[in-house]
Amino acid sequence: MRRLALSLALCAGLAFPARAEAPPEPADYRQDDYRAPTPATLAGATVVTTAEAAQLWHEGKTVFVDVLPHAPRPAELPAGTLWHDPPHRTIEKAAWLPEVGRGALAPETEAYFRAGLEALTGGDKARPLLVFCKRDCWMSWNAGKRAVAYGYSHVYWYPEGVEGWADAGLPMTDAEPRP
Amino acid sequence: MKTIAAALFAFAALLAPPALAEGEATWASIRPDIFGEKPIDEEAVVGLTAPARAEDAALVPIDLHVALPEGDARRVVALTLIVDENPSPVVASFSLGQGRRAFDLSTRIRVNSYSFVRAVAETDDGKLHMVRAFVKAAGGCSAPAVKDPQDAKANLGKMRFRVFSGTGRDEAQVQIRHPNNSGLQMDQVTRLYTPAWFVQHLTVRQGDEVIFAMEGGISISEDPTFRFTYRADGRPVSVEAKDTEGNVFRQQFAGNGDG
Repeated sequence: MRRLALSLALCAGLAFPARAEAPPEPADYRQDDYRAPTPATLAGATVVTTAEAAQLWHEGKTVFVDVLPHAPRPAELPAGTLWHDPPHRTIEKAAWLPEVGRGALAPETEAYFRAGLEALTGGDKARPLLVFCKRDCWMSWNAGKRAVAYGYSHVYWYPEGVEGWADAGLPMTDAEPRP
Repeated sequence: MKTIAAALFAFAALLAPPALAEGEATWASIRPDIFGEKPIDEEAVVGLTAPARAEDAALVPIDLHVALPEGDARRVVALTLIVDENPSPVVASFSLGQGRRAFDLSTRIRVNSYSFVRAVAETDDGKLHMVRAFVKAAGGCSAPAVKDPQDAKANLGKMRFRVFSGTGRDEAQVQIRHPNNSGLQMDQVTRLYTPAWFVQHLTVRQGDEVIFAMEGGISISEDPTFRFTYRADGRPVSVEAKDTEGNVFRQQFAGNGDG
């Protein structure tokens, strides 16, 4: 019901107050129920609004990383099976690293995330990184926390994500997951 | 007003991306892949019952009712069940033995996000007829299996056949134990996607006569279950299924459902 009320406010284009129900930061990664209100903070990282994220984007020094999960077409599907995979819209010039925001990662996913960040930052752990997915998505929180744990010293977490970006009319593009 | 209320609900459900406004866009994009340019009318030869809001997106009950009007000599020979917004939109294609003028068929499916569910019936004159319903459900394709994987493997391919004539309904039900993994579920141990693995072909016969046959996909729920119009007539019922790993399961049952 509360969500409905919020949505009504959104639909009507009304401003609504900052989320009162932001939970405290857990000590560990969030393991499930990823679409839920997120904390207001992320230890070791800087939380940014859409306006701040846009400024970082325009400055062009920050690596933008979308961590929305994405299931690829199962290899076992019989040939000719129709597969409907609409394009994912993300922030222009962002890299899309799916699956890296889950609570626990398979070793190959962990290696994929580490290698992806290393390539995107040119191996510079001081290079600013901005991590996002959607609103109320713990995967971006988890991934930001993970990047901090990997030793990245300038991690930004953008909780409004693609939805906040899109609502502000900022540049977006169709994305493919980084191989 | 109803549409506005529905749209508000769509906003409220954070997991449900395709807004109602998109409506038929997905269908327009997938339709040619399924039926080519063949015309599809909305003549009411088949009915579709689906919950407006599903309690469990991984187990959404769908009922199909073939019912040709009095005096219409045509028969329905095939039914295709589609969920527009599922990654694999074609849930299953059913062929109905010699064709049917009246036939009910129910199953349980996975719905990944708010979507139209459609049934397209083919009559024996080659024409296609469609009916649709909007279902609010999300996450059905990625929801973890209910059954423990070891247990599922131990019971793989076991079948049940039940006859409901005692309840006054000319119906029977076939269930096949199979995880029917969608390929979109996370394995909680490996933390990777569980490979797709599902019942691809199914044929249910009464004596030598095919009652129905199915080509299924990943959107059929775990432990595929089909309830269908059936009258016991002394002939045995045999069920044959084949999954995507090539496993073949066969079982024969007494036509009255006893063993």
